[in-house]
Amino acid sequence: MPGEKKWRDVIDVSALEEKWVTRVDLGTRKLAIYDTPTGYYASLALCNHGGADLCDGYFDGHIIECPLHQGAFDVRDGHPVCAPATRRMRVFETRVENGMLQIKA
Amino acid sequence: MTQPIVTPLTQALAEGKLTREELKSFMQRSDAPALRRLVLWVLVLIATTSLVTLAWDSWLIWPAMFIHGVVLVHHFSLQHECVHYTVFRTRWLNDLVGQICGLILILPHRFFRYEHCDHHTYTQIEGNDPELVPLPKSLGAYLLYLSALPYWRSKFTEVARHAMGNLNAVERRFIPKEAQRHVFWDARMMLGVYAIFFLGMAVTGWWGLIWYWLIPLFLGEPVMRFIRMTEHVGRPTVAQMSENTRTNIVSKPWQFLCWNMNYHAEHHYVASVPYHALPRLHEKLKDHIHVEKGGYLAAHREILRQVMAQA
Repeated sequence: MPGEKKWRDVIDVSALEEKWVTRVDLGTRKLAIYDTPTGYYASLALCNHGGADLCDGYFDGHIIECPLHQGAFDVRDGHPVCAPATRRMRVFETRVENGMLQIKA
Repeated sequence: MTQPIVTPLTQALAEGKLTREELKSFMQRSDAPALRRLVLWVLVLIATTSLVTLAWDSWLIWPAMFIHGVVLVHHFSLQHECVHYTVFRTRWLNDLVGQICGLILILPHRFFRYEHCDHHTYTQIEGNDPELVPLPKSLGAYLLYLSALPYWRSKFTEVARHAMGNLNAVERRFIPKEAQRHVFWDARMMLGVYAIFFLGMAVTGWWGLIWYWLIPLFLGEPVMRFIRMTEHVGRPTVAQMSENTRTNIVSKPWQFLCWNMNYHAEHHYVASVPYHALPRLHEKLKDHIHVEKGGYLAAHREILRQVMAQA
């Protein structure tokens, strides 16, 4: 069906930065993939406040912090945890199939 | 769709000035270094407070209050670090300490955070950078800025405006609608706390806070204005971070007081790096930024040279 979300291969999990955030280009999309204590999470890579690349930011546990203003998001559901971020960031469902991280998009 | 921007950090990584592994290592946070430093900080405060007490009945109280004030105004450096969440790994500790510093300095923490974010977006861009201090047009203007009188006028007006539920046009640009009422309530609560302080002093007849806090704060602020000028004033009003910001090499006591914020260009390159890692970051970036090896005094000699050249 047109518009239906499908699982798409993103990156081999062995290529992810351990306990950190990894930048991946998927077509025209820039994604941030997070290795957290509770599994892998994915979001759009650009901060929805100022457009900086979150993959260059500080990552701790489940919190990604923008490198420009230190606004922060919880990568599990994208909710903003710290100003100046005020809007939820776009996150994607993830799974691992045969060592490959996939997102539903 | 969010439009990408090139931050100085992204640029530094792309140009190979910094590797991703180095960046990760510089950004690591911990509560311990700041807690240790805060113990020393409190000891310094106790020492300068004691100076004021010891000098109570003589004219020496004025130099004592000045020294105490120089320490008090450096809570700005700590608050600034808290704004960036780089003092403590535990995020709420940054908020708590930042709020306390703001109360000491009459600078509401949340408002400062929004304003400072815009300063990092538009550093030294005339008309956009809300913290830009223009190069004074004359020696008189230079001295007036250093007196801190324009600063206090602006701060008191700002807090009163916010307490009354108003923002000016510039503030409306950088404070999102959903945060505006919080900024107003911060200002009201801050004024409420000060009212309680004054009421407490009036009831008890002990006016110590005037001598231990307010007068030292006003006496010390010109020193903070002197230091703040060295960060950007006299540097080109352009977007290039390698040009528009000045790092000052200063002695260890000043470095302690300003929480390493003398490494200002490094801080602007990578604002996520905690204060304790800035000297290491300086070693990586020192050939790509503007460094004033002669410290604050040399920076002011350069500023004054430019002021006099245009007068």
